[in-house]
Amino acid sequence: MPSRFDAVVIGAGANGLTAAATLAKHGQQVLLVDGANALTPRSRALEFAPGFRCAPLMVDAGWAPPAVLRELGINAPSAVVPRYSVSVAQPGMTLALANDSAAAADAIRSHSTHDGDEWAVFVTRLRAMSGFLESLYQLPAPDIDTTKLGEIMPLVGAGRKFRALGRAGMMEMLRVLPMPARDYLEDEFQSEVVRAAVGAGAVRDMRQGPRSGGTMFNLLHYLTGAPGGSVRARAWWQDGPDAFTRAAEGVTRARGVTIRTGHAAVRVLVRDHAVSGVVLDDADEIFASTVVSTVDPAHTLLHLVDPVWLDPQFIRAVRNIRFRGCTAFVQYAVDKLPDLPGLDGVVTLTGDLTSLERAYDAAKYGRMSERPHVELTATTLRWPSHAPQGKHVVVARVQYVPYEAGISEDALAGAVTSAIAGVVPGFPSTVLHHAVITPEQLERNYGLAEGAVTHGELALDQVLFMRPVPGFARHAMPIRGLYLGGAGAHPGPGVLGMAGLLAAKAVLR
Amino acid sequence: MSAARYDAIVIGGGHNGLVAAAYLARAGKKTVVLERRHVLGGAAVTEEIFPGFKFSVFSYVVSLLRPEIIRDLDLPRHGLQILPLESTVTPMDNGDYLAAWGDADESRFELERHSPHDAEAMVEFGRLMHHMAMAVKPILGMLPPDPASLSPSDLKGLLKLGGHFRSLGAERFHALHKLMTMSSADYLDEWFEFDTLKATKSASGIIGTFLGPRSPGSAYVLLHHYMGEIDGAFRAWGFQRGGTGAISNAIASAARALGAEIRTEAAVERVTVSGGRATGVALANGDELSAPIVVSSLDPRRTFLDLVDPKALPADLVTDVRRYKFRGSSGKVNLALSGLPDFTCMPGVGPHLRGAVSISPSVEYLERAYDDAKYGEFSRHPYMDIVIPSMIDPGMAPPGKHVMSIFVQYAPFQINGGWDDAKRDAFGNAVIDTVSRYAPNLKSLILHKQVITPADIERITGLSEGNIFAGELALQQLFFLRPSAQWAKYATPIDGYWQCGSGTHPGGGIMGAPGRLAAQQILKAAR
Repeated sequence: MPSRFDAVVIGAGANGLTAAATLAKHGQQVLLVDGANALTPRSRALEFAPGFRCAPLMVDAGWAPPAVLRELGINAPSAVVPRYSVSVAQPGMTLALANDSAAAADAIRSHSTHDGDEWAVFVTRLRAMSGFLESLYQLPAPDIDTTKLGEIMPLVGAGRKFRALGRAGMMEMLRVLPMPARDYLEDEFQSEVVRAAVGAGAVRDMRQGPRSGGTMFNLLHYLTGAPGGSVRARAWWQDGPDAFTRAAEGVTRARGVTIRTGHAAVRVLVRDHAVSGVVLDDADEIFASTVVSTVDPAHTLLHLVDPVWLDPQFIRAVRNIRFRGCTAFVQYAVDKLPDLPGLDGVVTLTGDLTSLERAYDAAKYGRMSERPHVELTATTLRWPSHAPQGKHVVVARVQYVPYEAGISEDALAGAVTSAIAGVVPGFPSTVLHHAVITPEQLERNYGLAEGAVTHGELALDQVLFMRPVPGFARHAMPIRGLYLGGAGAHPGPGVLGMAGLLAAKAVLR
Repeated sequence: MSAARYDAIVIGGGHNGLVAAAYLARAGKKTVVLERRHVLGGAAVTEEIFPGFKFSVFSYVVSLLRPEIIRDLDLPRHGLQILPLESTVTPMDNGDYLAAWGDADESRFELERHSPHDAEAMVEFGRLMHHMAMAVKPILGMLPPDPASLSPSDLKGLLKLGGHFRSLGAERFHALHKLMTMSSADYLDEWFEFDTLKATKSASGIIGTFLGPRSPGSAYVLLHHYMGEIDGAFRAWGFQRGGTGAISNAIASAARALGAEIRTEAAVERVTVSGGRATGVALANGDELSAPIVVSSLDPRRTFLDLVDPKALPADLVTDVRRYKFRGSSGKVNLALSGLPDFTCMPGVGPHLRGAVSISPSVEYLERAYDDAKYGEFSRHPYMDIVIPSMIDPGMAPPGKHVMSIFVQYAPFQINGGWDDAKRDAFGNAVIDTVSRYAPNLKSLILHKQVITPADIERITGLSEGNIFAGELALQQLFFLRPSAQWAKYATPIDGYWQCGSGTHPGGGIMGAPGRLAAQQILKAAR
């Protein structure tokens, strides 16, 4: 194996694979390294109890944008649209919102005729707004400094897409993006349970409550690629949660990328303000003039790089990135599924926005919610092979569990199990095993700074041209040859391979 | 009796209504201002609530009054005289204090005592905020362009705005973006470490809003309050001699001198409309006044839902106004005192009594005050901004006696069970009890107290839900969205009917900018 490459890509997730494959297609000798023993650790279903497997971080697989699929020359994985995009379960009451908006409207009418009548228009509007984000996300982040014609032209296209929303749509988009989800949903709906069903998506992985400005943006972000009519769940892949990354891996290998797993990059070497290579944890030195890091910006810029090469102001900006992980997971192996509708999609156990806000309050003071917000998905309804015959896996996604609260596994599991039992009283007796993933474990096992699955909160000051730090949203970092291509870069988490693709394009420019 | 005829009628004698009237009169329009109350000023009034004691009942400090208005209307000649409010002292829970003095070096030494790091950071922070304020200031005097329009004038406006932002340079543009979108606590966390400092600074980000220091969007309000400008000096807040009512009176005097007529106790019932055109107003006493131009300085809810028949308006506008957020969150307690309060952290009479005392010991204190309000209660331990105007302007109280103004947050308009006398008393007691923790002799000095809830603000001034800015200063309610997407340029769908209140761009505070911009638009349309 030569120890000299044109480019080293750090991290073999969707972004790393896409970046490596793109560079290889343009004739570069590429090395892809990952500290895990296998590729794409996040998207693989791992055994958490004998015979039970799960990929808790891929319950929502994300969106594979056409630009990435085109670049890789693959088809979108064959997808199944769940019947319900989100359901709310409360003691003695469930509301399941079908992706079919007429069916959802009917279900909603039993709570509020007004809301049922508004539903179809509402979901169409949300869809149009997230559709605009879809087109924006497949372009380099626009910025005030954009002067090159080549960079302006695609933005003119984005501007045209914006105008295509129509006058009312444009104004609505500008109005809605900074809004708190609660304000928007209270304007739209009368029924608290309908508001809560939609609002849960707006606080996903954020240390913000539904009353916080910018949560509408978060909702729209995670609706990119979702089927029409959905307010939450995207389609899932028949071939498993890693269907996309397996396909991307195939392309990467076919294009001649050298792949080394089991060895993490521990340092990016810099000489004269330019990248000269990387050092792996076995002390092996690889020489390369280009490094694309898809691990989070804090790890890349504060740990992998010697800070002497960076301007103090830039370092301060990186330190100021808010990660603030507050999502945890509990994986349950059960011998009987809870009797809830829509478990192949997302079932939220929070029935009103006030409860959601109260769950957030504790996190403001660094503590875990007394009554956390819990969402359930039975992944074995999608992939039955992930559990022994007749048994199931239920994943609970839990907020708010602040990283710094240092919550113990037992305390977390106990709080979540009792929250579920509050809605499904028989649940605890069906549990055969459980396995907990706290934010601390997310940091330790997946290398996520502060356990933030977002690689940096999707707050309005940390998206688009502000991601990862203002002025460096075009993926090139201030050290020549160093690029950031992970979820911490534009366009952020859940947009599979796009940051990697944009970073590779920046390398090739 | 045939209706009295004017060129222009201004509804509401608040500062914006008076400014608009002065500019219209200056252009030769025969203008009348109609004020419902017996005093002019709206929320900028001085009243003798207790014999010998004068209070700026609602709005109590001034910083944003536009210099071009002061110049154009020659306001100093009509009595405008701003006395500087030089210091802010924050009592801390450990008995110490944090002070910011008028003298920059003194403030730096004081901050160094608490945190050398923050004293260092403050220099750069102050510089950046100054630049930010400079960057935003031109927008305050700018007609908001419509980003969805392709009309030449809007495109020109957008290009001008784009050019303005480009001229800032990337660094300041990014800093501005952060200010517009972040929470004040997060923004300040990037700069400072000393909690009481962050709390006192974030307090200015929450004034008048229903946001906590950790709510995104509060950093912008911080800037809004940073833009104060007196005699060209940024960040300076001050008192008007004679209270904020004297500002209103100065503008009224200027308007009269320019030929405007001003009537008090002249409540407008509705705007008369014929064939889609405003024709005048009908007063509550049955009188009718006619004019081809009718300007409402009231907030958007009153302007569009009360004064005219909403059925005559486009449905989009009515929807926007209905969902426009007011949510008053602040109250006032005005006290007549027999002597001066003695603050434990700084005993005796000193220069601190000539400035503001901020009850904002920690960010968590403020955030918890907000938590109470979120769920429909007034804060048990509220944020308070306390000033003693009689220390600077002795005419406000009899010799040896004093008036104290306590601005209080949070007191939600929508309070559980609704506001009534018992709840007002409980609110006033919570305020006085909390201040007494820092100034134990306060209760023994009180000769008279006036407690004002958001419900009182609405009842007395007419500001919907008691919102002191005539609508929240939230990003989705600013600039070309204030108060509604297509109607942010002071015009309304009814020909001849205009808006000029704080519910329009650039918003609240004793600024006068909406009144001036509206008058300019009206005069342009009339040409």
